[in-house]
Amino acid sequence: MSIEGALRYYLGTGIGKGVLRFERLRNEWRLRHRAPKTSSPFSPPLSTSPWLKELISRHYLTGRYADAHRKVAWVTSGAPVEFLKALGYYLLYPENHGAVCGIRRRGEELCQAAEEAGYSRDICSYARTDLGSLLSGRTPVGRLPKPDLLLCCTNICQTVLFWYRVLAAHFRVPLVIIDTPFIYSTAPAHAVDFVQRQLELGVETAERVAGRSIDPAELERVTRRSREAVELWMRVLERARHVPAPITAFDEFIHMGPIVEMRGDRATVDYYRALLATLDLRIARGTGALKQERIRLIWDNLPIWYRMRGLSELLARHGATLVASTYTNAWGELAALIDPSDPMRSAARVYLHPILNRGTGHKLDTIQRLATDYAAHGVILHSDRSCKPYSVGQMDQRERLSARGIPALLLEADHNDPRAFADEQAENRIQAFLEMIPS
Amino acid sequence: MAPISIPGRREAIEDQRAAGGGLAAVFPVHNPRALLRSFGLLPVEVWGPPSARGDRAAAHLQAYTCSLVRCGLSFVLAGGLDRADCIVVPHACDSLQGLGSLLLDFVKPSPPVLPYYLPRGERDVDRAYLTAEIESLAERLARIAGRELDRAELHARLDREEQADRAAAALIDDRRRLGLSNRRLYELLRSREYLPAERFCALADSALEARGEMEAAGVPVLLSGLVPEPASVLDALDAAGACVVADDMACAGRRIYRACAFDDPLERQAARLLSGPPDSTRDCSMGARVAHLCELAERSGARGVIFFDVKFCEPELFYLPRLQAGLREAGLACLACEVDLADALPDQILTRLEAFVEMLS
Ligand code: SF4
Ligand code: SF4
Repeated sequence: MSIEGALRYYLGTGIGKGVLRFERLRNEWRLRHRAPKTSSPFSPPLSTSPWLKELISRHYLTGRYADAHRKVAWVTSGAPVEFLKALGYYLLYPENHGAVCGIRRRGEELCQAAEEAGYSRDICSYARTDLGSLLSGRTPVGRLPKPDLLLCCTNICQTVLFWYRVLAAHFRVPLVIIDTPFIYSTAPAHAVDFVQRQLELGVETAERVAGRSIDPAELERVTRRSREAVELWMRVLERARHVPAPITAFDEFIHMGPIVEMRGDRATVDYYRALLATLDLRIARGTGALKQERIRLIWDNLPIWYRMRGLSELLARHGATLVASTYTNAWGELAALIDPSDPMRSAARVYLHPILNRGTGHKLDTIQRLATDYAAHGVILHSDRSCKPYSVGQMDQRERLSARGIPALLLEADHNDPRAFADEQAENRIQAFLEMIPS
Repeated sequence: MAPISIPGRREAIEDQRAAGGGLAAVFPVHNPRALLRSFGLLPVEVWGPPSARGDRAAAHLQAYTCSLVRCGLSFVLAGGLDRADCIVVPHACDSLQGLGSLLLDFVKPSPPVLPYYLPRGERDVDRAYLTAEIESLAERLARIAGRELDRAELHARLDREEQADRAAAALIDDRRRLGLSNRRLYELLRSREYLPAERFCALADSALEARGEMEAAGVPVLLSGLVPEPASVLDALDAAGACVVADDMACAGRRIYRACAFDDPLERQAARLLSGPPDSTRDCSMGARVAHLCELAERSGARGVIFFDVKFCEPELFYLPRLQAGLREAGLACLACEVDLADALPDQILTRLEAFVEMLS
């Protein structure tokens, strides 16, 4: 890490942060003074939206310069990152970058770049987006920092293992694997021991790459902030139990950025606290995210990033809103397991238990619980061609939900590759589904 | 040379039943065969099966699930495994994980379903975990078999499996002198999926004893992928004049494990399962797989590598581009084909296979 690199880092991020702050203030002013659109089915955007935009943009801005001055790790979403944070790593989440590409409609082009290099169209579109970006050098966020370390945790899928093997071969940097045995019913003690031991090995590798030892007090601090953020996130989600819901799952998909990418940061805790206050204000004023809420729905699986706006408008036109999703819920439901005084053992337990690392029956129970808690009228199961671990089981889940009086729709799509999405067909199916829901 | 007679699946199952033994239906890829045998259960593997077609599974699995899992579930739904004493589902990939979970939570077939997790590394910590996982599997098996684990018996079964591995390796090494077509070679190698190790060894011995002095002609190729199904691909290779001289199939060569010496038989069983050649479903590095394939090709004289994969098989599909690049760099030609196990071999693949072999000859 050179003096020149440090200068570039501090200058680049310093100036950039100033610009972003200015933009945020301008956007906040606009939000406050903009006349509400009377024709829109939505209430005005959440007043914290400019802040969120600043937070996420700052993260990617820091990333542009990070490898000149800090150690960088690329990590899977849902990986135990607290020890890397405590060691001062800048963390990049290729999946989140994939989502950003999807939202900005760059997914197809980047998937194609990966396919031209021989990667099959049948593999996860996050992976194709990321590999396409890597091979073509194209990204909507300017530049991605090169990793010094890769951290891959299998608690979301096995796909990430293969994807990170490709990254490891490409970058020739150490790959830390935290293998989290799939939980078919309950996690046996030897699985928790296994994850804990791997975390300890991961710390050793990360320390070696960082050239410094972990400070236990810092690890505890980061873990505490993680827990705080996760608890706040859960409270944010739970506000949507209120009728009308002050926030939709579409909003949450965007607002989950910090909990995924900046877990353990003070700024994340501050942001969610502010968001919570905003939602409470909406509830106090009786303002819903939708002006006329008629149908409340649960969403299962990843969002369809490139059609978020279209889908939310389609639902809104019918007075329907997504009040919860298994995807955003996954980032909050484990808060109670996080124990800052025992960071490694508790991390082993926490990171073993995400919904994606648990059986199809558990997911059905979760959907049903969400439907009850959020007073939902139905469920949309996004059958995501790219995400087999999340999607296998949905056909039985739909059957069982319907049998228990909860209408459920299976919607075929792909979270990042628009070529697997048929607009008209999807629209017709959603409309037909909404029409049959008794609200 | 007298043709060897390979018993079929049904015959092996009936023999096992007649001897008073039980049956364990096991899904791919890495199975603790010795452990199952030590409980008196004959492991009979379920790689599809292609004859089951995927239709029945269509009510449970999306069309983008691999055909190995779709056919396997269809077979379960058709009652194909009803006579088994248990169904073992190793965790090899997201799709098999889904299958295990579906069976346990929703389909609930009559035989008990026993999933187990295979760690994705070869570190000490992986072996320690797998030992505990195998121990937990042994406890579940003990309840099914109605008897405790006999450690000495497990050691003896492990010895036999190691012997069977050596026999399988010898068959592949001496493949040119066996006088077998590609299809016949794989019928022999894959009889291990349902025969007891000792019967497989006897078969392999007779095939090795009958080998001739002359090396068979044919363009030497290395076959990689999951499973050579539909088996007509092997006929197509025969017809094209190719001779499979080296194997990197998940159902065959990738399960020729190293001999492992541990006092604790459970640890030995665990170490064995982690000791196979580099495999996508065990998350081996790209470099290790390229090096292994190059070594196989060099040792056998294979001139080209055919990847014969199942559509939607992410573990294999992720590796392909880098494996092909690495092999081409080493001067080896490659051909990648994808099939659906429930369908006939498409003409387009036949043509590509022919053209590839012709190019190598
Ligand atoms: S397969 Fe699913 S869980 Fe895995 S990286 Fe892709 S989208 Fe994420
Ligand atoms: S064919 Fe591939 S995806 Fe299907 S079960 Fe086998 S390893 Fe898994």
